[in-house]
Amino acid sequence: MRGKIRAQLLKGTTTLLVLTVLRDGELYGYEIAQRIRERSGGAFVPSEGSLYPALHALEADGALETSWRESDRGPRRRYYKITKSGLAMLEEHAQEWAASSLSTGKAMGEANR
Amino acid sequence: MTIDWLFAIVWLGGFGAFLIAAVALVRRSERRLSTGPRDQYTTVPGSDTSDQISAYLDRMSSELALPAADVAEVRSELIDHLEDSIAALEAEGFTHDEALREALGRLGPAAELGRQLRAAHQSTRRLLAGAGGGVFAAGGGFVLGYLGGTALAFVLVIVMAAGAVLLGHLGVPLPDLTSSTGGSVGNALMLSFMLAFAALFATRYAVRTCAGLSRRAPKTVASFWAAAGLILFGAWALFGIRGTQSWPGAASELCIPLAAVVGAVYRIERPMPHVGRWAAVVAVLSMVVLVGGVALMYGVSYSSSGSSGSFQESDLHLDLVAPVAPETWLPAADMVVISQNGNQTAYADLSAQLFASSGGSAPLPVAPVLANWSDLRFEAWHALPFMSDSGQLGIDTTYATPFAVQPAVLQGDSFPATFHFEHMRDARSWWVVLTGVAPDGHRYRLGDGTGNEADFNGSVWDWLTAPQ
Repeated sequence: MRGKIRAQLLKGTTTLLVLTVLRDGELYGYEIAQRIRERSGGAFVPSEGSLYPALHALEADGALETSWRESDRGPRRRYYKITKSGLAMLEEHAQEWAASSLSTGKAMGEANR
Repeated sequence: MTIDWLFAIVWLGGFGAFLIAAVALVRRSERRLSTGPRDQYTTVPGSDTSDQISAYLDRMSSELALPAADVAEVRSELIDHLEDSIAALEAEGFTHDEALREALGRLGPAAELGRQLRAAHQSTRRLLAGAGGGVFAAGGGFVLGYLGGTALAFVLVIVMAAGAVLLGHLGVPLPDLTSSTGGSVGNALMLSFMLAFAALFATRYAVRTCAGLSRRAPKTVASFWAAAGLILFGAWALFGIRGTQSWPGAASELCIPLAAVVGAVYRIERPMPHVGRWAAVVAVLSMVVLVGGVALMYGVSYSSSGSSGSFQESDLHLDLVAPVAPETWLPAADMVVISQNGNQTAYADLSAQLFASSGGSAPLPVAPVLANWSDLRFEAWHALPFMSDSGQLGIDTTYATPFAVQPAVLQGDSFPATFHFEHMRDARSWWVVLTGVAPDGHRYRLGDGTGNEADFNGSVWDWLTAPQ
């Protein structure tokens, strides 16, 4: 049950988290997952199965742009870079998240009183 | 510089810009539909691990239904991810098999991942772009296909003419394509050939462009464009192409929508990497062949002449229709003349009037003379070709009955009648005679009648639904 709730919460925040970690620079898919895990102190572990669809959807929306580069192992890697449109989207999502978080906190406070 | 030149330059410039833009659009889509060098990263070297990864990726790819380049990129990206993931897990102490299972497990079910990735790529915005781009590319493909088809038709005509000369020398009987009927069949076949090419290129360009822009596998949008092409070109072939019709012509015109379907579905996944180069070659060659062909056509003068009008009554075989009215019932001093009103060739506007055989341009009153006659009617009979050089004229003796009949209704001093031979499939050369039943109960003909030629004029639908 606890895992399900966490999954539901994560589902809505994947876009926000992806855009947040990409604000600092270009990253490839596996790095993005690792960076989210590190920055959340292991609290958020995005499902890798939902990470790539989210990345590709953001690219289709113009929030991200991609480039292929050779990796040190041989095969090329796909790097994601946030665009101006993506930064605007991040701003919007962050505000929504903050407002939502505040409201949820207030509601929880009322309930616990 | 006159305004005409300005108009021509603007028109040609706009047309050229449209073609260039259309081809550029198709080329852009082609880059997404062709995998090219990305292929090398879409599989992993052979091993047990690679077999499991490949099986996972194959299952995932089967749900993607994306253009080849997108599929290759997704596979390449996931291979890279899995290799990183496995290496990290092994560093944490997992065995290789455990790490492989765990890495695949973290990606989730392959089919579900494939469906999610497909949904991520195929947005509504891209679908609209694909539809619009498909229509635009279809226009360019139609023009290029028409140009190419026209050039090819010219070449075919030259080859066929050379073949005809050769076969003629060998004594092989050939259809006469210089006759009115033969010529119209030839024209219809050429037109159909050119339009079939245009339709084929239009739907093929539409499918490939729509697929590339909307990020869909060509086969997933092919049926839509095939149906659209079938309806559009089918309606055009049935109702839009008007003119002289014939069975071979109608059949060939109905091949145009079929060509559109073939263009949309036949080996549609096959890349067209040289589309731009070939389009340029087709456009240039077409212009060269067309300009040469048109110059040739205008340079060759030919004359055609009809032979209607100069005939002997004995050649007409009018007794096949009915015996001439005896003097008892139609005074020898009088004769019924059927004349054609106006110069129209689309239909036969006739008028039968009574004249004194001794001359005089004023028609005589009909009513007193034909008072005792009944069942007066116009009979249209098949006649021998008037353009024939054989000298044969008059009623075609292979027919025993008229192919069209109209009752003759007196209006004033004449019997007017209109035969729409241009809407009758087998009319072609016709001869109309006025007949009636005399008081003796026998049918006779009143005068010699008149004749001419009429080509069917209408759409394929008119041809198929014509009364005969």
